[in-house]
Order: sequence, then C-alpha cells, then structure tokens
Amino acid sequence: MAQTVTATATPPARVEDERGGSLLSAGVLIGPATVIVAMGLLLPICILFRYSLNQFKPRVMMVEAFTLENYVKFFTDPYYTNIFFTTLKVALICTAICLVLGFPLAYVLARTQTRFKNILIMLVVLPLFVGNAVRAAGWMTLFGSKGFLNVTLMDIGIISEPMQIMFTEGAVIAGIIAVNLPYMVLTLQSVIEGIERNIEEAAFSLGAGPFAMFRRVLWPMALPGIIAGTILTFILGMNAYATPVLLGGPKFKMMGPLVFGQFQLNNWPFGAAVSFILMSATLVLTATANILIQRRYRR
Amino acid sequence: MVQSTSSADAAGHLGERAKSSGFNSRRIGRYALNGMAGLALAYILTPLFFVTWLAFFRQEIPSFPPEGYSLKWFAAIPGNDRFINGFLLSMQVAVTATLIGLAVGVPAALCLTRIRFKGREWLNSLLLLPLVVPGVVLGTALYVFHVETEIHTSIPILGSLGGLIAGHVLVVIPWCVRLITASLAGSDRTIEEAAQSLGADRWTTFRRVTLPSILPGIVAASLFGFVSSFGNLEMSLFLVGPGRTTLPIAILQYLEWKIDPTIAAVSVLQILLIAAAMLITDRFVKISRVV
Repeated sequence: MAQTVTATATPPARVEDERGGSLLSAGVLIGPATVIVAMGLLLPICILFRYSLNQFKPRVMMVEAFTLENYVKFFTDPYYTNIFFTTLKVALICTAICLVLGFPLAYVLARTQTRFKNILIMLVVLPLFVGNAVRAAGWMTLFGSKGFLNVTLMDIGIISEPMQIMFTEGAVIAGIIAVNLPYMVLTLQSVIEGIERNIEEAAFSLGAGPFAMFRRVLWPMALPGIIAGTILTFILGMNAYATPVLLGGPKFKMMGPLVFGQFQLNNWPFGAAVSFILMSATLVLTATANILIQRRYRR
Repeated sequence: MVQSTSSADAAGHLGERAKSSGFNSRRIGRYALNGMAGLALAYILTPLFFVTWLAFFRQEIPSFPPEGYSLKWFAAIPGNDRFINGFLLSMQVAVTATLIGLAVGVPAALCLTRIRFKGREWLNSLLLLPLVVPGVVLGTALYVFHVETEIHTSIPILGSLGGLIAGHVLVVIPWCVRLITASLAGSDRTIEEAAQSLGADRWTTFRRVTLPSILPGIVAASLFGFVSSFGNLEMSLFLVGPGRTTLPIAILQYLEWKIDPTIAAVSVLQILLIAAAMLITDRFVKISRVV
C-alpha cells in the first residue's frame, strides 16, 4: 500500500515529460496495427470503389473510365435484381428463425449454474470454429436423395419417392441458420447474463406469467443484445458464400457467389460494383433497422 | 441503473393482474424453454454429427442405412496430397498470421487501455473493423489492392504467400485487440505502478508484471486468431495463387464435386483438431468467459 502511495506521490515533476513521451509511445505502440488495418482495409476498399467505376471490355479486360454503368447494369437487369432480392429474403428468414431459436438457448446458457455450462458453451462455439464447408458436408449427408432425411421419411411412410432437398432454397436456409445461430446465441447470452435474475423474480412474485415476464421485462432489457445479434446474423446471411455454393448448387444464386463468379470471369469492374452494392446494402439496411428499432422502443 | 428502475416499474404493473396459477405456468414455461434450448443446440450440432457418421461408412456412396463401418477412409488421408498440402499451408499461414497479429495487437491494446489521447475510440473501432467487413468484400478489396500494388511497384504480390498471410493478419488483429484490451482493462494497474516505483523500467514492468497478468487474454486471442485464420474461406479464395490451396478451400472444391466418406474423414480430423485447441485453451482461460 505504501508503495502505491509513493508511486502516485513522486512523479509530479515528470508530468510534463510524460505528456509528450506518452503521445510518442502511443504512436509507437498502436502505429503498426493502425497502419496494417488502414493500408490493408481502408485503402483497398477505396480502390475497390474506384474499380467499380471502370469499364469492362471483353479481350482487353478493364478500361479506365468514370462511369456508373456497372451499377446501372446491376439494377436494371432482372437477372441481377432477382439475385439481390433472393439474398435479402434468405438473410431475413434466417435472421428471424435464428432469433426465435437462439433466444431460449441463450437464456438457458446465461442462467445455468451447473458445471456443464462451460461444456455447453464449447458445444456452441465448436461448430462456429469448424468452418462452413465442413458443416455443409454434414447437411449434404442429411439432405441427399439417399440421405438420412429422405430414407427416414420413406421408412416411416410419409413419402414414397425421395424429395429433392439438395439444391433448393430450403436447404440453403437450413444451412445458413445453423451457421449463424451460434453468433446469435453468444451475443444474446452475454447480454442476458448482465440482466439480474432478481428483476425476473420480482416480475414473477408480482404475478406475471413467464410470457408476460418475457415480453415486459426480459425483452426490453435484452434489446441492445437482440439488435446486435440480429445485425450480426443479417450481415452474415447477406454475405454467405460456402453454404449457397454447396447446398444451393450452380443454379441457386446469391450475392456472395455472384461476386466471386465475376472475379473469376475477370470482370473486375462489375465484380467490384456488385461487391460494393452488397456491402452498402448490408450497412444501410442494418443502420436503418437499428434506428427504427431504437426509436420504437425509446419512451 | 436507469434500466433496472424502469423494469422494476414494468414488474410493478404486472403485479396488478396477479394470478394464482403463476407457479404452475412457470414450471410449464421452464420445460418449454429447456426443450427449445435443447432443440437449438441439437440443430447447431446436427451437421457435425452427420459428417462424423459418414466418415465411418464402409461404402463410398453416402446412402442410408450404411452397409457397414470402416476406418479405411482415415487411413487413406496421409496419402492424399491435396489435403495434406492444404493442411500444411493453412497451418503455416495461421501460425504466422497469429504471431504477427499478436506482435502488433498486444502493443495496440496496451496503448488503447493505458494511454489517454484524442481519437482513441475512433482507433479502437478501426482496429475492430476487419471483423465486421464481410469476407467476400474483404477478399475483392484485397485482390484489387494487390493488382494495383503490382502495377505500381511491380512486386509480384498477387497470389503470393506473403499476400495471403498479410490478408490473414488483418483477420487476426481484431481478435487480439478485442480480447487483450478486455484482459488489460480487468488487470490491476496499481501493481504496475508499484513495480515502477520500485525501480523497474517500462519494459521490465511489462515483461514481469503486465504480461503474466494478461496471459489468459493472450491465450484466448491466439486461439481465436488462429482459428479464424485457419478456417477462413471467403477472403482466401481471392488471395490464393495457382497451385496454392488452403485446407478450407480444398474441402470446398472437393465438396463442389462430390460428398463421400473421404471428405467426411478429413472434416472429422479438422473437428478434432479444433476441439483439441479449444480444450487446451480452456485450461488457461474458461472459454465461456471470453466469447
């Protein structure tokens, strides 16, 4: 204790020196990371935007220009707008289902006091770490024409012919939900943990049923986490790549695979434009939703 | 504080229509809740379960019920160059990127928590940004960046190992900054001051006092950084050159062609590797505290 007192008592003479010195050392400490992120992220995104204004000519590939024609092409061709709206629809459906499925699990994880808590959380995190392609492999085993789901349904007698599940929108939605659910659960869980159990008990002791307690106490208090989780899941859904490629097949198109396809065709300007549209749409939609929800609940 | 009073108000309102059947409906509610939670957890784990099951099939076609079980697909993995090379490249990239990420991330986190200066919040958000930018956008942006760099400096960075690692460093940095900042914010600053008042210089203080106290944060950052780099697919697709494939890309390309027990066995090995990394990390820092 005496040592800390001296530590805070001695330096006054050095304060001036510390100011200049700390700014310098701040620069040295944070400089490298900042330069890497600025050079490796902000600058590339600016170049990407510049590329999206260029023209594409087959054979010479990219021609320097200053035109919006790539953006016009995207929004006037129904082929591309359909892909955009399919992506939006899939992302919205997945986000809604993730919220409904994720909340109970997040709540149980946040409130459980047993020693299994750590194991349960690891079971949620493990699939997240394993990667999308591996999980798609699991769904492919389940969804194939001789896969577990079709064979089981035929054994029970619900269907007589195998259904086409692979390469449908349903398969992609099922896959993306599984990919995004852990993110939703972990975001909600950390927020619910911050809400005191006593408040819920107060609602119950005053006669609220579980549903009323949820609607009037838990939901409003968990709202910041619900918004954060919803935004994260929506962004991930909009930008999904591996799941639509593997479970949707070549015919089912979403925005992520479209961007990659354009770059494979060496159409950099259009690919850059689609990539930029994807990023902007995601950001604008999440920002709007955020503002609307907060306005709705601010009283 | 404000929040808790408002919800207490809400609870007060509810009291007006108190019901005697409250306790019973609470019990039903709890069963429903646990059931839903179990369902969600089962759903998350379903794909891992089925890919593991398939890895032990005797026949090559993924048809149910299996004709029998075998370990031959695992035995065949060491002879499969595609996956072995992909695994080695992914390891190399992830380890290098994590080390570089820690080397720049720890000082940055130190700066963000220990020194007050203008624009600190802004820098913090900048360093976390790569986590929010979608993989496909990050990949395309880095791709055109490499193209431009190559045009202006004639350094062959497009599709190079260096370019791939640089991209992965970008993915690792936010994890390092986020987890180590949290760890530093929780550590007791007065101990550092005590060390300095006893004559330790800054470097010694950092090495002997600060570093040991944030070790759990560094372990967690290493795990999350490593795993997010190792599993990165979207960005890497744009950055790998000819003849250079990471493990996730190798798995994706194989699955675009077909699903069979070979790829399932490779997937199981990846699941086991990551589970082992998590269990080891868990001995240093509880996973449930850092996610």
